[in-house]
Amino acid sequence: MSRGYMGKILFVDLTSGEIREESISPEVYEDYLSGVGLAAQILYQRIPPQADPLGPDNILGFVSGLLTGTGSLFAGRWMVVGKSPLTGGWGDANCGGSLSPAIKRSGYDGIFFTGISEKPVYLLVKNGRARLKDASHLWGKDTVQAEEMLLSAEGDHARVAVIGPAGENRSLISGICNDKGRIAARSGLGAVMGSKRLKAVVLDGKKRINVFNREEVNALSRKCNAWVQREVPLGPGFTMGYLGALLRILPTAMVQDGFIYKLILRKWGTSGLNQMSPEWGDAPVKNWKGSNIDWPMEKSKSADPDIFKNHEVVKYHCYACPLGCGGICAVTGGAYSRMHKPEYESVLSLGGLCMNEDTDSLFYLNEYLNRAGMDTISAGATVAFAMECFENGILTTDDTGGIDLTWGNTAGMIALIHKMVNREGIGDILADGSRSAAEKIGKGAHTYAIHAGGQEPAMHDGRCDPGFAVHYSVEPTPGRHTTGSQLYYEMFQLWKKVPGLPRKWPFAIYHKNGKFLATREHAQEEAACSSYMNVVNGSGLCLFGTFLGVRRTPTFDWLNAVTGWNKSPEQYLEIGQRIQTIRQAFNIRHGIDPKSFKLSDRAVGRPPMTQGGNKGRTVAIEKMMRDYWTELGWDPETGRPLDQTLVRLGIDAI
Amino acid sequence: MAFSITDSCNGCQACTKLCPVAAISGKKQKLHRIDETLCIECGACGRICPQGAVLDQFGILCQMVKRSRWKKPMISSKTCMSCTICIDVCPVNCLAMSDARDAKNTHGCAYLARAKECIGCGFCALECPVEAIVMQVPDAASQAG
Repeated sequence: MSRGYMGKILFVDLTSGEIREESISPEVYEDYLSGVGLAAQILYQRIPPQADPLGPDNILGFVSGLLTGTGSLFAGRWMVVGKSPLTGGWGDANCGGSLSPAIKRSGYDGIFFTGISEKPVYLLVKNGRARLKDASHLWGKDTVQAEEMLLSAEGDHARVAVIGPAGENRSLISGICNDKGRIAARSGLGAVMGSKRLKAVVLDGKKRINVFNREEVNALSRKCNAWVQREVPLGPGFTMGYLGALLRILPTAMVQDGFIYKLILRKWGTSGLNQMSPEWGDAPVKNWKGSNIDWPMEKSKSADPDIFKNHEVVKYHCYACPLGCGGICAVTGGAYSRMHKPEYESVLSLGGLCMNEDTDSLFYLNEYLNRAGMDTISAGATVAFAMECFENGILTTDDTGGIDLTWGNTAGMIALIHKMVNREGIGDILADGSRSAAEKIGKGAHTYAIHAGGQEPAMHDGRCDPGFAVHYSVEPTPGRHTTGSQLYYEMFQLWKKVPGLPRKWPFAIYHKNGKFLATREHAQEEAACSSYMNVVNGSGLCLFGTFLGVRRTPTFDWLNAVTGWNKSPEQYLEIGQRIQTIRQAFNIRHGIDPKSFKLSDRAVGRPPMTQGGNKGRTVAIEKMMRDYWTELGWDPETGRPLDQTLVRLGIDAI
Repeated sequence: MAFSITDSCNGCQACTKLCPVAAISGKKQKLHRIDETLCIECGACGRICPQGAVLDQFGILCQMVKRSRWKKPMISSKTCMSCTICIDVCPVNCLAMSDARDAKNTHGCAYLARAKECIGCGFCALECPVEAIVMQVPDAASQAG
């Protein structure tokens, strides 16, 4: 009997309309888990190397996680996968909400689409039957409108993944939404869905999910929940800014315990970092050339965490989450009255990165972009790129259709983002992200396009934590902040389960200079983060849950209790390494040069900042990339997985 | 394993109307059958069948129970962690999340929003990791205060 997994996938050929089920052997789950691992195993075999990401040969997959629906907490994440049109390599995006269990309750661990439909369609899976239905009436609707129409037609129990106008227009920075605004935003996979004329996936699943030892799973979950419910009072939101200033001023840093982040997330959600991160040097400002001097507390107060908390009418919990970092906000006087609370990433990319101090616009643009189905990180970063081009005369009002893109001009930002979503005028160029736009604009614009392999990095600065710079540069899906950093390694506390890994002592003090040393120990930590996050993403767990540490959020114990396996943490990390390696092998097979994913010079401190928290910092990125590749058994000069590594992990030759 | 229907079935279709996954088929006044690939073992067919014609997944004959005596979920707001697991597993969508509990605690709490829809399957109680849900006959619950 399958335990934790459903043992089947659904394959939909949108060209022919054929829908078929496939069984997956238990060995695949033992080697790759489910979620991103299962998807990587399938896509590595089935997407031809020359496949156009927006053509019929690309495969778009929606996968759940091995722990989803089993009583394990934080296990509500789903992922969308495919060949990314933004980077040309492996693409994935991770999202919370309620879709993940619906995939499994429909009877599948993943639903995959190939081909291109003649007309807009959506897939409905209900009562054991899958069929394609006409979506012509939904084409052009935003993600919230379309979801409401689909729920009205198919019943409230259904769960919906849907693209908005940005995906329909094949914007390479578009994503896929569920739960009226939670978006799997990265890698440009909304464009893949749009290219296939697949408007939505609607799942009304009710199947049971077998668990090997539910008592054990629930006992583990109760212990984990006790940590989540433990409260320590925090001060008002602006005090987080002063904490950030303190972290900046001190020459030393402290090994951090993720329980502190749990407290912040529980109270404010990710917006708890809105003022702290720019003060600290964690958040990039003014297209990565500014600092807290340009974006002081006086300006960042426009994103005071308490503003967002005060708009919150009820906390929003993703499936199986006891934390509830999300929120549903009520706003009066704007275009939208009820919306998901803007996340830190959205607020900083649309705020400090563009020098935008208008709080109302943060609410509006966040909701507008979620409805359009466009990635807020890349959208904000691309606007910041355009603003710097404007500052330097590379773009003028003649190019922008009269829009003034002076730093911090809120009206200009809004007008530009409208054009990007609708691919109008300059927006058509910018709708594919900053790298693509720089290539089209020329005139040296590439200097201002801050990206890794074509994807705009998230709002965590590698000049503050070089681990972010490394992961932005070495991950098969570059530019992502959810795969690892030095901070994450401290919080994961993997050494408590895997004694061979570098040990940290919580709250130990060390000099900040140590972060920037390209040591073997740092490479081990980064490789461990990547491997662990592949286990997490194969399980459907949430990154924020794992911040509590691997003992309090017992990933490995849950996996054994759910499946009946008796694998050691080391064995699970080897599975994570296998997933990371097959994703890298996918990129090599598809012609990606891993060195080309290196983060833009400015974001690694070339030239170094002359002011602010990251003053004088340069990341030894080439050496750190080589060390990371070596640690994973990849060629340190090319980033290509070595043949012996592929053999050891049982991966087919590239 | 799945539930099944014996020859005692008279085709009254009480189960067909109730089955949340449309697993039961058959013409009126004819013997019905349960599609075992669809059945989720919620037991609603066994509880509603006036003929005593339904066997559970272990082959044991189900007893009809008057619908007003079917157990319903009683949810402890003190223990509920707002995780929505119960809402997700409910096959008839009768649970929902409340608004903020109060000004200080803005986490919602699961509650029985559509009591008439509840089929008493108990999946919500079974899957709640923190045991916040107890299945009780409503009368018994009110007597317990």
